[in-house]
Amino acid sequence: MRQRGPRRDRRRLCVPGWTPCLVLLLFLLLGLTPLHAASDSPDPDTGAGVNVPAAGEQVEEAGSIPSAAVQKPSDEYGNVTEDVGGEELRIADPIEPWNRAMYHVNDKLYFWLLKPAAKGYKYVVPEDFRGLFSNFYRNLRAPIRIVNNFLQGKPGYSGIELAKFLINSTIGVGGLRDCATECFGINGRDADFGQTLGKYGVGFGFYVVWPLLGPSSPRDTIGWIGDWFLRPQTYVSSEWISPVGVGLYVHEKVNDTSFHIGDYEAIKGAAIDPYVAMRDAYVQYRKKLIER
Amino acid sequence: MKKWPAGLMLLILLMLPFPALAGVPLDTVKSNVNGVLDVLRDPKLKGESGKKVKEQRITVAADKLFDYVELSKRTLGLNWNKFAADQRKEFVELFKTILKDAYVDKITAYTNEQVNFTKEAPLSENTVEVQSVIVSKGGETPIYYRVIKKDNEWKVYDVVVEGVSLISNYRSQFREILGNNPPSMLLETLRKKVGKR
Repeated sequence: MRQRGPRRDRRRLCVPGWTPCLVLLLFLLLGLTPLHAASDSPDPDTGAGVNVPAAGEQVEEAGSIPSAAVQKPSDEYGNVTEDVGGEELRIADPIEPWNRAMYHVNDKLYFWLLKPAAKGYKYVVPEDFRGLFSNFYRNLRAPIRIVNNFLQGKPGYSGIELAKFLINSTIGVGGLRDCATECFGINGRDADFGQTLGKYGVGFGFYVVWPLLGPSSPRDTIGWIGDWFLRPQTYVSSEWISPVGVGLYVHEKVNDTSFHIGDYEAIKGAAIDPYVAMRDAYVQYRKKLIER
Repeated sequence: MKKWPAGLMLLILLMLPFPALAGVPLDTVKSNVNGVLDVLRDPKLKGESGKKVKEQRITVAADKLFDYVELSKRTLGLNWNKFAADQRKEFVELFKTILKDAYVDKITAYTNEQVNFTKEAPLSENTVEVQSVIVSKGGETPIYYRVIKKDNEWKVYDVVVEGVSLISNYRSQFREILGNNPPSMLLETLRKKVGKR
């Protein structure tokens, strides 16, 4: 197995609100999922609006803003007159049997390997240290953000990400601290290659669950590969798979998971059909990043 | 000089905040979410004995925050109409229980995160999205609460975490079941799920 990837770029944490980490975090946790980009600041770059709206082929339809509610308060259990929930997103799933099997494999990998490892690690390593490592790995993914912000027509954010990378790598001691944000209040924007392709109009294609890596699609798989070449860790050794490279990846994964123990369990526990819940969360999440 | 006062007044006017514009939905969600968090952080409610009381209080706080009927309707969409009156009530109760069971345990683990309410964005005439972000050592997580105004109260009918809507997520799951089966079958599935725990 080869490890790769830039997973999504921001650690998500769970929420204290009543409905904490819904469905989302799923794919992050799922197996060793590398999911990429999330975005930091929704604000458009200088070149906002340059995004080609993905005229994706699939059945995916945008949908989140629910239409106005229709019922009168007096009859709250009455009929609904229009589809109030907003349209739903769909993705083709022609290889569902394979995907379901891989979902189960990843589920077991999480409970048998990743979770125990992350728990032990969390017990031993103080939160502050784990936070430093998070920053460190996030800083190493800067080239992915720099290049993809540029490709997405947001050179302003490329520059900001480059500045952050330089600041954090130096003043931030090799990226251990996110000094750009903490000391100077500089916020960047996450970006990954799958997202770039989506903005260029490439649709998901269909749903694929990879062992170890989790939910994806042909488009996002190509995205991972592109991002993988932009990770400095990829080049720590002349071989594609080296002990150091694997070690770094495993540590990144375990460190990241240590902040999210329980998220996947909550999502799975809340789901009627966890497989469908994960698939939907993946589609919604990626779609959102591309529309942004 | 005559122009002075006019310019000055304009300046003062511009400096006035516009409290009327940002307001009620955000404040409502904020205070209700904080109501849940206060229960979570109550030092008196520790240990096994405190746990029961804690869960009860969370339930009360959550009931204030959420509009479960609206949430159910939007999750089912037009399929809601296929449910008979008593089936609708049962569905709402079951769905509510499932959400609580899944998340109460989870949220009891969160006590130290900082929750910042950032802004509100109108969605339609009577719906608003209240945006918040959870800040922790591992990073930030955006949580958007979609609220609807009914009887002058703002209540949450959807929660969007990192771009993933709760009701859309359930909708895709229910759709698969309701595609080939009657509502009673979905209720049966939900009953089993609730009974299992």
